[in-house]
Amino acid sequence: MPLVGTPVPRLEAPDKVTGAACYVDDFALPGMIYGVTVRSPGPRGRIRRIRLGDGIPWEEITVVTARDIPGDNVVALINDDQPCLAAEVYNHAEEAVVLLAHRDRALLERARRQVHLDVEPLPPVLTIDDALAAREVIWGTDNIIKSYLVEQGDVEAALREADLVVQGEYETGAQEHLYIEPNGMVAVATPEDGVTVWGSLQCPYYVQKALMRLFRLPPERTRVVQLETGGGFGGKEDYPSMIAAHAALLSWKAGGVPVKIVYDRTEDMLATTKRHPSRTRHRTGLRRDGTLVALDIDFVIDGGAYSTLSQVVLSRGTIHAAGPYRCDNVRIRGRAVATNTPPRGAFRGFGAPQSLFALERHLDVVARAAGLPPEELRRRNFIRRGERLAVGQQVRDGVDLPALLERALQVSGWTERKNRFRQENQRGTIRRGLGLSCFLHGTGFTGSGESHLASTVALEGTAEGRVRVLTSSTEIGQGTNTIFSQIAADALGVGGEIIEVPRPDTAAVPDSGPTVASRTCTIVGKLIETAALSLRQQLLEEGLLPLPYTTGDFQAACAAYVRQRGALRATARYQPPPGIHWDEVRFRGDAYGAYSWAVYVAQVRVDLCTYQAQVEEFWTVQEVGRVVNPTLAAGQIEGGVAQAIGWALYEHVAWQEGRMANCRMTDYIIPTTMDIPPIHVWFEEAPYPYGAFGAKGLGELPMDGPAPAILNAIHDALGVSICRVPATPEVIYDALSREEALV
Amino acid sequence: MMRLPRLRYVAPRTIREAAAALADAGPEGALLAGGTDLLPNMKRRQQVPRILIGLRGVQGLRVRELGEAARLGAGLTLSEMLRDAALCAAYPGLRRAVASISTPPLRNMGTLGGNLCLDTRCNYYNQSLEWRKAIDFCLKKDGTICWVAPASPRCWAVSSSDMAPLMVALGARVTLQSAQGERELAAEALYVDDGIAYLSRRPDEVLTDVVLPPHAGLRCTYLKLRRRGAFDFPVLSVAAALRLDGDHGDAPVREARLVLGAVGSHPVLAAEAGALLVGRPLSEEAIREAAEAAARLAKPLDNTDYALGWRKRMAGPLIAAALRELRGDGPPPHGELARAGVRGRPSGAC
Ligand SMILES: Cc1cc2nc3c(=O)[nH]c(=O)nc-3n(C[C@H](O)[C@H](O)[C@H](O)COP(=O)(O)OP(=O)(O)OC[C@H]3O[C@@H](n4cnc5c(N)ncnc54)[C@H](O)[C@@H]3O)c2cc1C
Ligand code: SF4
Repeated sequence: MPLVGTPVPRLEAPDKVTGAACYVDDFALPGMIYGVTVRSPGPRGRIRRIRLGDGIPWEEITVVTARDIPGDNVVALINDDQPCLAAEVYNHAEEAVVLLAHRDRALLERARRQVHLDVEPLPPVLTIDDALAAREVIWGTDNIIKSYLVEQGDVEAALREADLVVQGEYETGAQEHLYIEPNGMVAVATPEDGVTVWGSLQCPYYVQKALMRLFRLPPERTRVVQLETGGGFGGKEDYPSMIAAHAALLSWKAGGVPVKIVYDRTEDMLATTKRHPSRTRHRTGLRRDGTLVALDIDFVIDGGAYSTLSQVVLSRGTIHAAGPYRCDNVRIRGRAVATNTPPRGAFRGFGAPQSLFALERHLDVVARAAGLPPEELRRRNFIRRGERLAVGQQVRDGVDLPALLERALQVSGWTERKNRFRQENQRGTIRRGLGLSCFLHGTGFTGSGESHLASTVALEGTAEGRVRVLTSSTEIGQGTNTIFSQIAADALGVGGEIIEVPRPDTAAVPDSGPTVASRTCTIVGKLIETAALSLRQQLLEEGLLPLPYTTGDFQAACAAYVRQRGALRATARYQPPPGIHWDEVRFRGDAYGAYSWAVYVAQVRVDLCTYQAQVEEFWTVQEVGRVVNPTLAAGQIEGGVAQAIGWALYEHVAWQEGRMANCRMTDYIIPTTMDIPPIHVWFEEAPYPYGAFGAKGLGELPMDGPAPAILNAIHDALGVSICRVPATPEVIYDALSREEALV
Repeated sequence: MMRLPRLRYVAPRTIREAAAALADAGPEGALLAGGTDLLPNMKRRQQVPRILIGLRGVQGLRVRELGEAARLGAGLTLSEMLRDAALCAAYPGLRRAVASISTPPLRNMGTLGGNLCLDTRCNYYNQSLEWRKAIDFCLKKDGTICWVAPASPRCWAVSSSDMAPLMVALGARVTLQSAQGERELAAEALYVDDGIAYLSRRPDEVLTDVVLPPHAGLRCTYLKLRRRGAFDFPVLSVAAALRLDGDHGDAPVREARLVLGAVGSHPVLAAEAGALLVGRPLSEEAIREAAEAAARLAKPLDNTDYALGWRKRMAGPLIAAALRELRGDGPPPHGELARAGVRGRPSGAC
């Protein structure tokens, strides 16, 4: 019986619920000691001197500074501009400067407080406007880390000729990942044996690349092993390289003693990455009938002090900025700027939630100006199969946005509810509203990313008649292992019980790329499917496998193969789908192999007594190709919607001099179960031929749509447009006061 | 790194033993009930007792009597009170207040006594040792200045207990026992308007129980403002208790006690506002006047979550909503109520 399409329970769930799962904090090696980090005091300055204070037995403590780094002092990623330890200058608050290690954690804590940094503060750049003004230059020549321009048609002429031009400015705040398990690593490092690290991470080969550069080691002497990982959401995409490097430097200096660094929640919130804050300006021209004739979009994200992943976050955000609409004249200017704040990094959605928030919020404003219902404006402008997105990509999948919209309106009872709320809102102090958003999310890496990665997977048949799926894709709570076993089992035509998915270890698995970009199921899964077919083919060609065969026959065939011929292994390597071309220089072409499409509807109530907005019910309709595991897929959608509700209404990172001031869960407010409404999930399945069993990406999709849908619902409820998230009661109160619409 | 300091733990079996242990320990000692407030505070070194006197095994702290009135032992957990359907039906305001405290696991540990003696809170105080050290300690612990009001000689940390305002509104009485003997006082008199010395309880006294007034004819409610439907302390709350001269909501008010929580270092009894209502039915006009009078007493400082101006503005509407509910208008529609664990359950006047 095929497993793809069925709700196979998560393979690692029993270990997690019984406490058997081994997370980095549970992991210990003999003689292991602990490491801590001494961090910069302010947003920007020069380090004059590092003084070790009195009363600490410094001779017992391993102390590491930038001078102890054997190779290059960078965390290698894209631009290699981020030091592993600040040497002469620091560019953001909480930047790592000195590392200490000792067996006694209490002593270590005292010692940390006795490391004094004599610094000379420099004027910081703290906001997008400061960065663009470039009075202080902190990155490159103009504080601009990267910029992109997408241009199609003649925007200025179209705006001049448009019947109506509507402008708007939209802002989104930073967001903390709050994965349940903070970052942590254990390292053993010596010049003789090289470096091995174990820890909580999403991308083993990113960590390996960073360590190789830092220690000048070849890959075979740089080993990265993932441990059970308690969530990532992008927050363990680049930062684990930093913390692995720190643990390894300490171990290296301490003569190879194992060193563990685990951040507590506060340190994790202060020092690690966040979602990029953004500001987007829209100028939209339309004809009297509601046809969009010009989209002029200026999209700026704040990348923080070092570039990390900002340029790729920017490219995704820029490409998604024009949404799932057809428009002949489009100009999107995307810029990522540097500020003296901790570097921003990957976070579920990767730039798309920011630019789509602006677009989908703006379209409701546009619809009002045009006198059209918001759904009608969108319906009239949806992109259709065969038409081209702003980057010039012809849409090839079987997209049917009008059908998704119809379904969403129908399941949410849109018209009926709207009418009812219009009545009910006349009385009392509760206002209800409905809002929707229509959006898309590109599957896998942007542009030529997947071709550059050239991901590889391997399948191995064992002497015991089992099949091992070898990839570097990590299980971080989203169900990687389960879907991989489903895909491998179905492609091999066997039961899932003979499939094993070992945890990634760079010494044992090929590089199937990072676990990011909604690529794992569709792209890596496809490689598994391909490798599985070739493994099966080998057995067939050797005449070891009868047709038809049972799982038992297959096991016997594997065992026989290994006995007779040695290792049974099949690999597959990524090939772009035919006809896919991307021009990085002109920033045009096929940005993604495929897109997932969605229409979301939010019902929100706003209390005019307290100005609190609460999501009461949420409907999601999406087309994500084939759904490999309905339970896991629905879980992704529900979790993503919950995380996006947090971003939309609750999660406010309070910055003080470039430092997160509310770095505890007491005052960084994420929604609880009491604040999450019923979330309805509908999948439309249009199989994508180049994804595993027809799957497209879906993990990030649910982060894109809720914020605009929720704020559109607030607009519907109050008649007041709020253009930034999070829309806390204070923001809603201010907006109402400004509109003098207070009751 | 959050670790408890070294300490000695004493496990008395009776109230008398507990009081004796407390007297012996002197300034070094503290009572430990559920520990949900005290232990985190100790980890952050906001409180540093060296001897903890555990109340868990103490007999006689868990009385629960319900007749015409009620007597509740200080050692009852919040969950035990919530599970007592008769108690909740007799005092719906109590149920609301208890249900709104933190989260189910914390309510399983947290006690009535601990909640009534809850430390006051402030953004400059409820921080790690590191944090407080970095900006320099404040008056409340180890420092000489108040960061909220630097010119002020006193501490303005906020009374954040959900039960305290309710007990004051009900006119409940609390019993305190020490090695010297026992005394009883009005809940109102237990609290002092000072962020540091916020209780009139002497350091050697154990709060043993709370006596509630007769519930027949009593109308009481509790409304709480906070960001989420769980976890969060109140940033403003309203407890109201009324008796009317008649059974209907439109009968004149005989007695009214309105209390604001989380706007100062103690629960603030709005006596004047209550007096304004006496002798009049709960008309919109009476409600407005009382709400205005009570709201004038809400002078929150900028030391909790939420913008100050917004918190100030909320007092009047919340008081009015509480009074309308007591009039019999049904539970107020506010989001924070729906989220306070009372979704879908009727909770009108009693
Ligand atoms: C995340 C979180 C959220 C919270 N949210 C809320 C909230 O929304 N509302 C709220 O009111 N509280 C809240 N609390 C605080 C706390 O959990 C409750 O107030 C709880 O009821 C305290 O009771 P306890 O038994 O745990 O007290 P403890 O921590 O054991 O004691 C608290 C104080 O009372 C003293 N004490 C305890 N018992 C006695 C006694 N019998 N006689 C004299 N002194 C005594 C202790 O010495 C200590 O000073 C929250 C706490 C946390 C950690
Ligand atoms: S009110 Fe002032 S003294 Fe009291 S805790 Fe806050 S900062 Fe400290």
